[in-house]
Amino acid sequence: MSNIPFRSDQVVEELVQFNKNLSQGVKNLLDAEEISEGVTPREEIYTEDKLKLYRYQPSTGVVQNKIPTVIVYALVNRPYMADIQENRSTIRGLLDTGQDVYLIDWGYPDRADKYLTLDDYINGYIDRCVDVIRERHGVDKINILGICQGGVFSLCYTTLHQDKVKNLVTMVTPVDCKTPDNMLSHWVQKMDIDAIVDAMGNLPGEMLNWTFLNLKPFQLMGQKYVSMVDIISDEKNVKNFMRMEKWIFDSPDQAGEAFRQFIKDFYQQNKLVEGGLKIGEHEVDLKNLKTPVLNIFAEQDHLVPPASSKILPKLIGSKDYTELSFPGGHIGIYVSGKAQATVTPAISSWLNARS
Amino acid sequence: MSETNSWAEQWFKAQQQFVDAWSDMAKSSTSGNDTSQSDLWAQSFELWRKACSGQAQPDIQQAMNKCLDMGKEYFAMAEQVSKGMTDGANPIEAINQWMEQMKQSLQQFGGVPGFDGSGVNDFMKQWFSPNASWKEMVSGLTPMNQAFWQMPGMNTSVFNLGEMVDPLGKVLEAPGVGYFREPQEKQQKGLQLALDYQEANFKFNQAFLRIAMESIQGFQNRLLGLEGDSVPKSLRELYDLWVTVSEEHYAEFAMGEEYQALYGDMVNRLMIMRRHYGEIADDFLRTLNLPNTREIDTMQERLQQVRRDNFALKKEIREIRAMLQQMNSRPEPAAKSAPASKTTPAVKTAPAAKSAPASKAAPASKKAPAAKKAPVRKKTVASKTKVTRTKAGA
Repeated sequence: MSNIPFRSDQVVEELVQFNKNLSQGVKNLLDAEEISEGVTPREEIYTEDKLKLYRYQPSTGVVQNKIPTVIVYALVNRPYMADIQENRSTIRGLLDTGQDVYLIDWGYPDRADKYLTLDDYINGYIDRCVDVIRERHGVDKINILGICQGGVFSLCYTTLHQDKVKNLVTMVTPVDCKTPDNMLSHWVQKMDIDAIVDAMGNLPGEMLNWTFLNLKPFQLMGQKYVSMVDIISDEKNVKNFMRMEKWIFDSPDQAGEAFRQFIKDFYQQNKLVEGGLKIGEHEVDLKNLKTPVLNIFAEQDHLVPPASSKILPKLIGSKDYTELSFPGGHIGIYVSGKAQATVTPAISSWLNARS
Repeated sequence: MSETNSWAEQWFKAQQQFVDAWSDMAKSSTSGNDTSQSDLWAQSFELWRKACSGQAQPDIQQAMNKCLDMGKEYFAMAEQVSKGMTDGANPIEAINQWMEQMKQSLQQFGGVPGFDGSGVNDFMKQWFSPNASWKEMVSGLTPMNQAFWQMPGMNTSVFNLGEMVDPLGKVLEAPGVGYFREPQEKQQKGLQLALDYQEANFKFNQAFLRIAMESIQGFQNRLLGLEGDSVPKSLRELYDLWVTVSEEHYAEFAMGEEYQALYGDMVNRLMIMRRHYGEIADDFLRTLNLPNTREIDTMQERLQQVRRDNFALKKEIREIRAMLQQMNSRPEPAAKSAPASKTTPAVKTAPAAKSAPASKAAPASKKAPAAKKAPVRKKTVASKTKVTRTKAGA
């Protein structure tokens, strides 16, 4: 290339426009109201320690699926990602297509929760929430929708408690944690997890944030804010942008013992694939999982590469396996317009067909 | 909120005037060589930052600051690009010249003792944002805040790490004596661990410096290789290209063995140091007869086990109750036989069994002879899981 086709006066024009947008954007930011966590009305129906189990207000005028669905979110970040704004809500989409939706909100663990193990989370908290929902609805089995790390928990839970799970949906769930394109996994291989947990007690949310942002530092810490100037110059976009921004930096600390086991067993030793995984006293062998599974992954996921999820049918014993590939990223699968139009209806029709 | 709004309105009006004035000035002089212009850009960002400070909620303030920081860096890039684009000069040459200057400047940093990326200015600052944010995070998580690293012997940005370790090494190797021998040794070990961490952090930063320089070369090569539609047609497109190239170089580095080792070492050394200082703090608290981490950990662990036992017992009690209820609801065997034949219950159940679709049930048993089904089952188990694949939006 011998030249670039723009002139210095054009650069100045661009900068002036940028400055105008920034000026308007800053004004819009100052006027912005407080950002809420989630938008769909819900009711707290069970609480234990810092955990809260919510039931979302079912949509009227739709045929209700008699089998309720509980969303098991990751311990990392907060679950309102699935209900981030009115027109970008996975939960709203599920309700509008006839699902009765529950969600487990793990809260913010602190020092008192340091000794919570994966056994406490999976065979304790999740199991008790599932029992509460079964009892409320008078059913033996319910549907589970696991998101990211929550998908891993759901796989383990379903394998161990198949008598309580009718259908399992996993979304952007890391199964094979040692695929060659997994940057997160690559980084933790030489980390002394014991030293981290022994030194920190719980893993601070700030450390997780640092890790996630530094998977793509130029885009996530630079370009995003340059592009943000164009976005926030429009008043309507400010609130939505800020919701996302709040969510990104809203990272709870991770209970020390659960974090220790999760990174060692899943990310360092890849036990879901290699075998030998134990949750408490119980061995988890995915071959024993016979429940119908819908596995959804995102093609441009930089946190959970698609290959990490796509291995699932080779490991489980279920004869009813469906997978859905979404052309987007780890977050886009919940918040993009495309996801609202395709992913959520697909989940509902899959569940309805099996309930 | 109304006060803020009224302030915001006034402030916005002033800004508009500022932008308009600036716009007029920029249009009348497009030379780009006037350094006072770039100063004005930079100053405007600082002015905005000061004006907005404390006016917004913390979340919003944080986003606004990031926006202003990035705006400033974006403008710094624009300044450099437009500088060489006057009088029909070839912009590519101007960009190349700027890139060469950046490489030279980074090379100089390579020789700075204890380089931590903090001195890097201009647009390349972004390359050191992982280090800057790491430093910021660490100072919030460890007792070693910025003041700690400014202590004599610890300030690696002033002293050469290699030169510094030796004299301090002698102090650290000196045997502890007397009644306080043990605390002395612990303090010595703490300093040694802090130095170990500093060294690991330094190596991490040095690797970033090298990759940053490589990325500049990569950007230059990419620019030269672009043809047709892929050629940037605006400042923003040029910036986006820079981000793409930088991200590619970073990803290659971050997925390599070197990064894995350097990052792992830095994290591990930080944690070992922190754990050691935690132990020192525990010892200190014990001397004051105050609860320390070790004791609280023991209590928490025991408490958690008691809670698990409680849940298990509650579950067992529920199951026993259910069993008892079931047993109690069963009619007594003696009462069953004699009166039952006299009264109707047995008769009542019989029709039910008859009215149940016996005819429907019957074919089922005919339809599914165990002998016939068995081989099919075996076959299905042996075969692989059936996979239905769908593409969202397809």
